[in-house]
Amino acid sequence: MESELVRLCIEAACENRESVEKWRGQRRSLERLPSHLADAFLRRLIHRRLLFPSLLEVFKHSVEKIDLRGEKSVDAEWMAYLGAFHYLRSLNVADCHKVTSSALWPITGMTSLKELDLSRCMKVTDAGIKHIISISTLEKLYVSETGLTTNGVTLISSLKNLSLLDLGGLPVTDQALSSLQVLTELQYLDIWGSEVSNKGAAVLQKFSKLSFLNLAWTNVTKLPNLPSLKCLHMSNCTISSLLEGDGGKPPLKKLIFSGSKFENEAEALMHIETSFLSFLDVSNSSLQRFCFLPNMEALKHLDLSSSIMGDDLVEHVACIGANLRNLNLSKTRVSSAGVGILAGHLPNLEILSLSYTPIDDVAVSYFSMMPLLRAVDLSNTNVKGFIHQEGANPDLFLSLKALESLNHLERLDLEQTHVRDAALKPLSSFQELKDLSLRSAFLTDVSLHYLSSLPKLTNLSFHDAVLSNSGLNLFNPSATLKKMDLCGCWLLTEDAILSFCKKYTQTEVRHELVHVLPSNSNGSTSPSPSLLTSRTLLVNQKQGNISISPSFVDQRLKYNREELLSLQYSSLSRAIPLDRGSTLLMNQSSSMS
Amino acid sequence: MKKEDMVKLISAEGFEFVIDKDAAMVSQTIYNMLTSPGSFAETQHGEVTFPEISTTILEKICKYFYWHLQFASGKETEFPIEPELTLELMMAANYLHT
Repeated sequence: MESELVRLCIEAACENRESVEKWRGQRRSLERLPSHLADAFLRRLIHRRLLFPSLLEVFKHSVEKIDLRGEKSVDAEWMAYLGAFHYLRSLNVADCHKVTSSALWPITGMTSLKELDLSRCMKVTDAGIKHIISISTLEKLYVSETGLTTNGVTLISSLKNLSLLDLGGLPVTDQALSSLQVLTELQYLDIWGSEVSNKGAAVLQKFSKLSFLNLAWTNVTKLPNLPSLKCLHMSNCTISSLLEGDGGKPPLKKLIFSGSKFENEAEALMHIETSFLSFLDVSNSSLQRFCFLPNMEALKHLDLSSSIMGDDLVEHVACIGANLRNLNLSKTRVSSAGVGILAGHLPNLEILSLSYTPIDDVAVSYFSMMPLLRAVDLSNTNVKGFIHQEGANPDLFLSLKALESLNHLERLDLEQTHVRDAALKPLSSFQELKDLSLRSAFLTDVSLHYLSSLPKLTNLSFHDAVLSNSGLNLFNPSATLKKMDLCGCWLLTEDAILSFCKKYTQTEVRHELVHVLPSNSNGSTSPSPSLLTSRTLLVNQKQGNISISPSFVDQRLKYNREELLSLQYSSLSRAIPLDRGSTLLMNQSSSMS
Repeated sequence: MKKEDMVKLISAEGFEFVIDKDAAMVSQTIYNMLTSPGSFAETQHGEVTFPEISTTILEKICKYFYWHLQFASGKETEFPIEPELTLELMMAANYLHT
């Protein structure tokens, strides 16, 4: 974490193009920058969209880590400058679609590079991998969803120092995996969506240090014992046996079987060591009996959504509830009776989702027995907000009152429930509530009025309500309110929303009629996508004058003005790929005329 | 003003800045120098020399110390930094942990 003054300096240095020009020439200072400052500085320049290829040059002696993830402009020219970075340890160009195989040539033989992320650079093919394998220092390589073929994957076997290899979405065959078995340092292997079968899975035993493995969307049904394994992803697989075989039981911490089918759940999960297991995701899986759950006493995070879990099976969850922090039961058959069984067994639960379950207000009344709850999702349930009490008291008992005792409640989702205005009255005393989502055609100004007194409210989503202009006008939210989404509040007019925005300048307001960003959106808050695009255009325009690569042919030189103008409306112009540059050009030429 | 409440900061070129101890202590590095129990020369004489920091930068740093104190007491003003100074100031701030 950089100090306050360092942060202010970086802000000032990255104010605009002019400020960049003021320090750009101070080469000796730039060379002396400690790497952590240089890294942070460069990060800020990227964030402010002030970085262009030739500016990279001044950082070549200081920067050790560059993250250019998703920067659309990164191309061969950028890579040429990056190749000269003497001390670069980590380079991330994931999602930079202009990075091609040949663009990787300049980084051939870099001597300090340990980490390279090329994820989803579709134009990087086997030819590109040939440049990469010259970097023998590489320890972490991400090439998921690139243009690599089986041959390219085989070439990676020469990078003997690899401890992490992400080959997600590539056509890795059993044979290719077998050729990688020389990578004995491997601790992390991701081969989701590959063509690996049980035969290939047997090779995995050669990676004696393997602690993370992702086999999602593969045909692997039998996974051999991998004694170091801590984290296993096998979503959307058909599983018949897991980690069966000699050697010690792996110290598993995290298991993800989302969407998987189990041939025999008791047998498949028989060999699993459960004493360290803290994360289990079996959402949408074919599990029927959950008889393995009672052994998993260390679980903190349990996702059972869209599974067959119901009131009859919920006992299995209750008996391991002591450590649970996060429980997802959405889209299950668990009803209020089931929540009743769980209540009292979940003393440490912080996050609970019951959306799309048949629960009603009785379930809500049990929440007071889960004192540490921070986030509760009750959306799309039968919750009404009140319970009819038989007998003497004719008043309705407001069920949401039960949440008042939850001193940590920060997030509450009541979308698509049957709550009416009166039922929401208890909300006004929730001191810690930051996020609230409501969506109902029954709610009116009255509900919004209750929310004025929430001191920490940050995000409010108030959808489809019968909210009037005067109701909005009377709403007096806490100064903490950052986002307010009023979509579907059909009675509101543009004027009313705009006058609200004028009063509360710190709040971003969404509605079909207007979308107002906070007025103080300076550099420190991240700009909206639309703002970003316009700024990129501006930067591109300026860049054009400063850094022109030899291969770049300015369209204005290629055509004269008349030709350009005629191109603008000809059908031919549609055949030319209209990237940002050329659109910009069109705008310029039309403004010239 | 008592002498022990003040501290002297000396730049690379030998310029001396005499400022309040409270202000100088905004820097964690100076704080450590002035309060550490050992017999640092700095602790005894209330004098710190920075052979790496030029006069211009040290002046800016001193201004920052006072600005920081004001800001902490609720006076919300901007601290202006000329872009030309950012690199050197950044390195000095990093060294001084301020």
